Amino acid sequence: MVVLLAVVLMGGLVWLVRRTRSGMRTGRAGADGAGPGFPDRPLGGKRVSPALMSQGRIDVRGLTKEYRGVMAVDDLSFTVEPGRVTGFLGPNGAGKTTTLRMLLGLVEPTAGTATIGGVRYADLDQPIRRVGAILEAGAAHKDRTGRDHLRIVCQSAGIPLARADEVLELVGLGAAGNRTFRGYSLGMRQRLGVAAELLGDPQVLILDEPANGLDPEGIRWMRDLLRTLAAQGRTILVSSHLLGEMEQLADDLVIITAGRLTARGTVASVIGSLPYLSRTLVRTPELEKLAAALGRDAAVTPDGDGGAYITGADAVAIGDAALRAGVAIHQMVTQLPDLEAAFLELTAGKAAIR
Amino acid sequence: MTALLDSAALDQAGDTGTTPARLLRAEFMKIRTTDTGWLFLAGFIVFTALALTANGFSTHFQLYPQQGQGDRAHALAAAAQARTPAGVAAISASMMTSGQRIGVIFALLLGVLIVTSEFANQTAAVTFVTVPRRATVIRAKLAAAACCGALFWLAGTIIAAVTTPLFLYSQHVSVSLAGWTVARAALLSLLAFVAWGVFGLGLGAVLRSQTASLIAAIAVYGGSFGALLVFTALYNLFHQGWMLGAPVIAPALASEVLTTSGPAFPNAPPAWVGGIILIAYVVALAAAGLALTKRRDVI
Repeated sequence: MVVLLAVVLMGGLVWLVRRTRSGMRTGRAGADGAGPGFPDRPLGGKRVSPALMSQGRIDVRGLTKEYRGVMAVDDLSFTVEPGRVTGFLGPNGAGKTTTLRMLLGLVEPTAGTATIGGVRYADLDQPIRRVGAILEAGAAHKDRTGRDHLRIVCQSAGIPLARADEVLELVGLGAAGNRTFRGYSLGMRQRLGVAAELLGDPQVLILDEPANGLDPEGIRWMRDLLRTLAAQGRTILVSSHLLGEMEQLADDLVIITAGRLTARGTVASVIGSLPYLSRTLVRTPELEKLAAALGRDAAVTPDGDGGAYITGADAVAIGDAALRAGVAIHQMVTQLPDLEAAFLELTAGKAAIR
Repeated sequence: MTALLDSAALDQAGDTGTTPARLLRAEFMKIRTTDTGWLFLAGFIVFTALALTANGFSTHFQLYPQQGQGDRAHALAAAAQARTPAGVAAISASMMTSGQRIGVIFALLLGVLIVTSEFANQTAAVTFVTVPRRATVIRAKLAAAACCGALFWLAGTIIAAVTTPLFLYSQHVSVSLAGWTVARAALLSLLAFVAWGVFGLGLGAVLRSQTASLIAAIAVYGGSFGALLVFTALYNLFHQGWMLGAPVIAPALASEVLTTSGPAFPNAPPAWVGGIILIAYVVALAAAGLALTKRRDVI
C-alpha cells in the first residue's frame, strides 16, 4: 500500500514539475509590477547625455595581480573612453581575462585600482544597470533553458522577468529561449551572453571574446550591434583574438603582453607607431639608379610587375632621393602593416605562456 | 537598430535592485529550473516510502510476535509493552519519522550542490557580477538550503502522516498522532533537516569543488559512525567514562542523539547536547563559507 502511495506521489510530482516548467516557459510578464521609471536610467535606445558620458569611463591605474610569484598583470594603466569601441588585445596568457575580472570585482588586485565612472564595480549601486559584463560564453547551467538563465539574472537584480524575453528577441534567440543551454551552439551561447549583458540596458559593456564561434553573419551582427551601442555614447570594451575583426570594429586599442601594457591609442596610431613595418610601392623607369640613391639602409624588392617594394625608407626619403638622382617617379604608394603584422611585431618574443 | 534597445519592461519597472527577498527567490529559481532538485526530492520520497514499508513490517512483528521466534516470553512482553499508551506513542513517533535519520543525507547533498553547481557550471562569475556583495548571495543560498531541508522534511512527514494512522488502524492499535511524543520527534527531525541542508551548503562554499564536496559530505556523514568504534576502543584502553558519550562530537551522531527519543547509542548524552553540537558545526561551516567566499577570487 505504501509503495502504491509512493508511486502515486511520484506521478503527481512529475506532473507538478511539468506543469510548473511549462507555466514558466509561457512566461508571466512584468512580474515585479509597474511604477515610475528608473530615475537615472541613462539609456533606452537613446544617446547617452553628455552629462552622463563621464560615468562610462573605465580607468585602470597601476593594476597588478600576482599569482604564486607570477605577475599575471603588472602595473597596468589605461583608460577606456565612452562612445568608442576599445579592443583589448594580447596573446594567450597575457592577463586579459584577469584584468577584466579585477575590473568586475571578481578578483582582488594585489595593487592598483580599476574603476568605472570613478567607482569600483563592487561599490556600484545596481551594477548591472550600469555595466553589462559576461565573461564566459559557456557560463550557464547545462540543464537550464536560455530564458531561465536570463530570468534568474533579472530576479537577482530586481529587473522585471519580462526583460529576459526582450533581450532574447534582440539577440535573435527568441525561438531558442526554451531550449536547454546544453543544446546551444557556440554561436548561440555567445548570443545568450550578449543578451545577458543587455538585460540592464547598461552604459558600459565589457565583452570577453564575443566573436568566438560566430559564423560570418553572426560576426557582422555583433559588429553592427557594438558599433551602434558605441554610437549611442556607450563604452564598449572588447577582448579578442580575431585581429582582422578588431581592425574593422575598434576605434581604440589596448595591447598587453605578459601582463604589461605594450601599446595603446587609436588603431591608426598603434599601427603607425611601427613605421619600419610599412613598405612603399614605387614605379619608376630607373629602379637601379633610385636604389643607389637610397643608400644601403633601404631594401628594394622588385614586385615582378615593373614596380618595386621599398622598406627601410619612408615616402619622404624616397621622394628626396629621387629628386637628388633626377629619377622620374610614376607611382608611389605607402602600405601600412595590418593589425595582425603590428600585433605580432609588438608582442614578439614576449608571448610565452607563463 | 537604435530603437531596438527601447525596453517596455525596464520602462515599466518600478523599484529595481537587489534585495534579500529577491535574491532568495532567485536561488529558488535556480533550484527549480534544473532537474537536480526534483530528482533529489523524488529520490527522497521513494526512500521514505521504502523506509515506511520496512518500519511497518518491523512494527507488525513487534506487535504480533511470530511462532518459533527465539524468546517467545520476551517477545510477548515487548508486544504488551508496545500496546501501552507510551508504547503506541513511541511507535507512532518512529513511524512518523521513518527514514528521516538517513533521509537528511538528501538535504545535505542538495545543500552541497546548490553552491558547488555554480562553480562547476561557471555560473559563479555571472552570479557575483550580478550581485557583487558576495556575502548577500551566500546568505540567500544558506536560506534556500534551509528551506529545501524543511521541504524534504515536509514531504516525508506528509507521506508518513497519511500512512501511519492507516497502518496503525490496520494493526488494531489506537492511533495517537497528536501527542507530544510524536510532535517532538517530528520537530526535532525538522531541525535536523534544516541543519543538514545548511551544513551541506557551508561545506560546498568552503570546498567549492563539486566532487570533493560530495565526497566530503558523504565521508563526514558515514565516517561519523566510525567515532563509535574509535571511542569504544579508547574506552577499552583507558576506562574513562566520558569516552562512551564522546562519539556525540561526530556530526551525524550528534544528529542521531538529537532526533532519537531514547539513547541513540549506549551511554549517549541527552538530546540537547546533540542539538548544540550539530548547530555548532552548522554555524561554524556557514561562517567559514561566508568568510571564504567574501575573500577568495572567483575564477
